[in-house]
Amino acid sequence: MLRIEGVDAVYGPVKALSDANLQIGKGELVGLLGANNAGKSTLMNVLSGIVPTAAGRVFFEDEDITKASARRRVEMGIVQVPEGRLVFPQMSVRENLLMGGMNASARPKRAEGIARVCELFPRLAERLDQHAGTLSGGEQQMLAIGRGLVAGARLLMLDEPSLGLSPLFVKYIFEIIDKLHKDGLTILLVEQNLNLTLRFANRCYVLERGHIVVEGTADQVRDDPRTRSAYLGL
Amino acid sequence: MDELLQALAQGLLIGSTYGLLALGMGLIYSVSGIVNFSHGDFVSLGMYLCFALFGALALDPYVSLAVTLPVMLIVGALIYRFLIQPVAEAHALMVVQLTLGVALALQNGILMVFGGQPHRVPSVVEAKLVMLGNVVMRMPHVVAFVASLALATALFVVLRSTDIGRAIRAVHQNARAAALMGVDVNRVKVMTFAVGIGLLAIAAALLAPGTPLMPSMGLRYTVITLLALVLGGMTNFLGIMVAGLVIGVSEALGMIYLSDTLGMILPYAVFVLIVLFRPEGILGQSRS
Amino acid sequence: MNPEFHRILRSPALWIGLVAVASLPFFLPNYYLHIATLTLVYVALASAWNIVGGIAGQLSLAHSLFVGAGGLLASALLLKLGVNLWVGALVAAAVSAALGAAIAWLDFRFRLGHLTFALITLAFAEMAEIIVIGWEFLGGASGLFLPKDTGQFSQMQFGGVQGSFWIMLTLAAAAILANLIVLNAPLGYYLRSIRDNENAAQAIGVGLLGNKIKAMVISGVLTSLVGTAYARYLTFADPYLLASPVLTIEIVLFATVGGLGRAFGPALGALLLVPLGEVLRGKLGGVLPGLHYFLYGATVIAVIMLTPRGLLPLIQDLFSGKRRAPSSGAPAKSH
Repeated sequence: MLRIEGVDAVYGPVKALSDANLQIGKGELVGLLGANNAGKSTLMNVLSGIVPTAAGRVFFEDEDITKASARRRVEMGIVQVPEGRLVFPQMSVRENLLMGGMNASARPKRAEGIARVCELFPRLAERLDQHAGTLSGGEQQMLAIGRGLVAGARLLMLDEPSLGLSPLFVKYIFEIIDKLHKDGLTILLVEQNLNLTLRFANRCYVLERGHIVVEGTADQVRDDPRTRSAYLGL
Repeated sequence: MDELLQALAQGLLIGSTYGLLALGMGLIYSVSGIVNFSHGDFVSLGMYLCFALFGALALDPYVSLAVTLPVMLIVGALIYRFLIQPVAEAHALMVVQLTLGVALALQNGILMVFGGQPHRVPSVVEAKLVMLGNVVMRMPHVVAFVASLALATALFVVLRSTDIGRAIRAVHQNARAAALMGVDVNRVKVMTFAVGIGLLAIAAALLAPGTPLMPSMGLRYTVITLLALVLGGMTNFLGIMVAGLVIGVSEALGMIYLSDTLGMILPYAVFVLIVLFRPEGILGQSRS
Repeated sequence: MNPEFHRILRSPALWIGLVAVASLPFFLPNYYLHIATLTLVYVALASAWNIVGGIAGQLSLAHSLFVGAGGLLASALLLKLGVNLWVGALVAAAVSAALGAAIAWLDFRFRLGHLTFALITLAFAEMAEIIVIGWEFLGGASGLFLPKDTGQFSQMQFGGVQGSFWIMLTLAAAAILANLIVLNAPLGYYLRSIRDNENAAQAIGVGLLGNKIKAMVISGVLTSLVGTAYARYLTFADPYLLASPVLTIEIVLFATVGGLGRAFGPALGALLLVPLGEVLRGKLGGVLPGLHYFLYGATVIAVIMLTPRGLLPLIQDLFSGKRRAPSSGAPAKSH
């Protein structure tokens, strides 16, 4: 479904991504692993069209989208649930979900989308009129994911969904992610939490300082010694 | 007592338009972080456009809005796109200086075209009076009051309940998240700036009748707008309108009850006192 | 004291430049010398403001209070009470110091945000202008005419344009020197930390009140002295010039366009814009009212679009031969 070839990305003088090659098949749950600042968020932002590529190409369903705008990519169904949730704090839960349906392809199906999210997350349904800024971290994560679903995600990209959440909530979120995956959604998961990701993902990539150093099925990645060294900087 | 009521009425009527001016600036500030120092000079531009249209086509200022509004909307969009957007990354104070340059250019452009002597824009409603008990109010002020409140309400409704209004609020609250939702953040910024300036065209038409037009009057409106904006809490809609009223009333009361000097400094003194003791604004910040 | 300070003071380029400028009165015709003197006035004012606005990050729009004190109060003391202008200048400077400290205290006590502080100081400036114009002792709306300049130095008379030029040069140099000293002394580091993140600065033990007061007092005193000299030079203390918020707005423009927070930045801004304004006014002032100012405004816009980081960073980049990518936030510079 998604394929990137030879992608470089720079922040000023720093090369955040070097020669990245990655594939995500339809219906797969792909994990993107690595230590802090390895380039995981950068890669995700490149896919979202927020960070431009200095080199290389991005293909979505065999269409070259390297030059496509961020807005266009959301319309196509490439939706990012950003690190830190980034909900709109002074808008209600409902309004946040409505914002999810801003893009042209999702807007006509917005009401249904919101209804589905309410089914999936009953806790959000109870708090539709509450200001998002007053939700707990876990509830905000649910909202952020819900927002992404209303946006009509065909490739849902999650950036560190477990960040700052209690272990119970992390388990819950991952169960939701697994459910969405089993229902057919293609998912790219960026995480520092190695174990949980390896448990649910089909395949994984490991990034170290902007380079993809390991790739394979979850088991292959787990057993590869380079995975550990990438995390521990050995 | 009558005098007091008169002053209060006067202050409220004018203050509502001050509030509208401040809403325009607040809209721009909340979305792009820009403090537009040429704000008042755009009001001035609007008024002079009314004057020109009156001279050329004998149009009443309220009618000439049909021309001045689209013109100012377009001018606002162009100025944002070609002057401000290129330097959007710069230090906030630098952007303020840019708007200062725009203010100078506007002010003096007006001077070049229209000359420095005071002009007036007559209106059919100018001489009419409205009586409420013993209080006499001039029709243009009453029109300004009603229109300002109506517009403020309309703005509020648009921000609250429409998609575009939500998009604007989203960009204000978290531009990055808005971009991830497929909102064209740049387009929202251009549009908001244009609308902010367009609002000034309307305010200009409301303020024009009975006001002596001078090229240098822009600065005064800019200062009043800034005061109302900060007093209102920067992003609190209702607070900004209330702040406009407070400034309008203190201006009116000062003129009637206090000697020249004291009367003129009253609005500033009120501003300083309120802001010091309620720095988050009259009604507190952001319940946007 | 940062060794950078000594390095700059020992730089031959600096002294050659200083001598070159000081020799201008010997061959510039009076008209241009007047423009040069005026430029130096604004170099001094902008540099003095920079200590508070650029280094400490406190956007004071109340500096017209200091200029007004220096120009109007000292003149009033001379004309109404016979106080020697030198003494009057010191009195005005003391008053300015007190006002500056009071403003800094307000900023601290009420924890004002940057924009709020700017607006409150603007309100003070507006109020001050109104009060000054209504106060006969300070000259009211018509201002105060100072005695003719007959060269008596003891009466603070500079002896015409030449003498005035050297006085203003001294004041401008003093203001820039004050910037250099502040930037390279511990005070400069404290002020910049307050500018960049007040809460963080306080958390590591930087005293907010003391440092803000120091910045305001240094800046206020310098500004006031320049104000007195300015009034003396013009032989006329004009309230609409000296006590006007517009003056502060101009100073802030020069400081920002030139390079906020840098010792030589404001000087560059004034050096570009003041002569430009004067020449435009001279050549085009009579042609069509407003034309010269219109072009001035257009130039400001153009300069900012070409150098959004300020003139000084641009010139530095040109000299060191590299083009740096624009960075947000002011780096800690010792000059």
